[in-house]
Amino acid sequence: MLMSYDSFFAMWPKLLSGFLVTLELTLLTLAIGMAIALPVALARNSRSAPLRYAAGAFIFFFRGPPVLIQLYLIYYGAPEADWIRQSWAWVILRDPFACAIIAFSLNSAGFVAEILAGALRNVPPGEQQAAVAAGFAPSRVFWLVTLPHMARIALRSYGNEIVFVLKGTSVASLVTVIDLMGAARQIYFRTYDPFTPLIAAGCIYFVTVFLLMRVLRRVERRLAPELRIRAEAQVKWRPLSRTPKDAPSAGE
Amino acid sequence: MALLDLFAFGPGWGDELLAGFFVTLQLALSGYAVGTLLGLLAALGELSRFRLLSALLQGYALTLRSVPELLIIFLLYYGGATALNLLFQPLGLGRVEFSAFLAGLIALSLIQGAYASEVFRGAITAVPHGMSEAAKSLGLSPLAAAWTVTLPLALRYALPGLVNLWVVLIKTTALVSAIGVEDFVRTAATAGQNTKQYFVFFAAVLVAYLALSGLTMLLQARLSRRFYRHLDGARV
Repeated sequence: MLMSYDSFFAMWPKLLSGFLVTLELTLLTLAIGMAIALPVALARNSRSAPLRYAAGAFIFFFRGPPVLIQLYLIYYGAPEADWIRQSWAWVILRDPFACAIIAFSLNSAGFVAEILAGALRNVPPGEQQAAVAAGFAPSRVFWLVTLPHMARIALRSYGNEIVFVLKGTSVASLVTVIDLMGAARQIYFRTYDPFTPLIAAGCIYFVTVFLLMRVLRRVERRLAPELRIRAEAQVKWRPLSRTPKDAPSAGE
Repeated sequence: MALLDLFAFGPGWGDELLAGFFVTLQLALSGYAVGTLLGLLAALGELSRFRLLSALLQGYALTLRSVPELLIIFLLYYGGATALNLLFQPLGLGRVEFSAFLAGLIALSLIQGAYASEVFRGAITAVPHGMSEAAKSLGLSPLAAAWTVTLPLALRYALPGLVNLWVVLIKTTALVSAIGVEDFVRTAATAGQNTKQYFVFFAAVLVAYLALSGLTMLLQARLSRRFYRHLDGARV
């Protein structure tokens, strides 16, 4: 039932190397996903209607279905086409890790594009107008005014997306990538201990998410002075008020 | 084989795929029903006076939201029945066995419960405090106040979150194919393996999932019209 002490100690290096693969998958997915998502978000808010519809279709198509199907479609579907097997793309598509990265980043790009597009719409137009009035070139208005404010607004939703990507990478274990989830399953198949490896892997995921959320809260407070002010004001105001204990605080 | 023959009933894979689709739908619907109820109870427990209960339930929700869904499904499938047998062995009860379907259903319900509790907790705290105070001063018992005043109002705050969770849950059901449930994804994989036409079958599954999310969006528009009809006069 439960594994021996020897296999318990032998288990950790395997989990750790799996965890590194998980981190690698997460970071690459986030980076590529962001690179795709930003242009899509801009297109989603663009003045040209075809661009807006194309961006909407992209978001619907990559966000709607489960990432597992998208991954299977690439991993099992691509080798069936001879023209893919004969092209340079085959070098990439025959590697399950690369297939996972492609599927995850397209899927995540759909979610991130929607987050960024929403954030872009919520940047107060007065700021951009002020920058234009001050004689900023359009590209500088975008990079120096719109983009930073968009980042602040999007940060909370984006933080949730990071957690979803981290959890979602576990699906890669279903196409033979040995990430943290895959390593835990391998250990289970070797030891027949259904609890220890999976719970250990679960703890690693949990601690990672927990630390990530703490860091994100820090970053958010640093980037959003208005939250800081409101939170401080609320602390001062609370003793006099009759708000219930668990009223949502400014940060929530 | 021509494309349409692949999806034919009988010799083709149409009937198998349809059966798989219904397994997925069954899992999603029952997981959603059980999980949402679980989430409501968990939210009420979290907001209750009982500190220990509240802390335990918060721990449950936090854990299930921080660990990959796939891991929870595997853990329940590999270890769920064993754990229950270990727990109940001293009581002299018979051994239980989990089918893959049951393990998947329990996992999906627990996951849905964790997310729904978050939605319900936010919705219940969003109901203005004056409402429950007014109910109390009218002499309503706590139960009546909750049932006739707080919860109906909270449901309106919860609706967008609950619809969102339905969309998420449909997508999570795809994962149970990993423990061998003959769901939509697994039947498509079997069909692909037998015909060497993975792309066609997975593309069909993808389109079906897209249709499901499109359908949900339409339903959401109708539901929210019904739920927020008290605001109709206020719309400009």
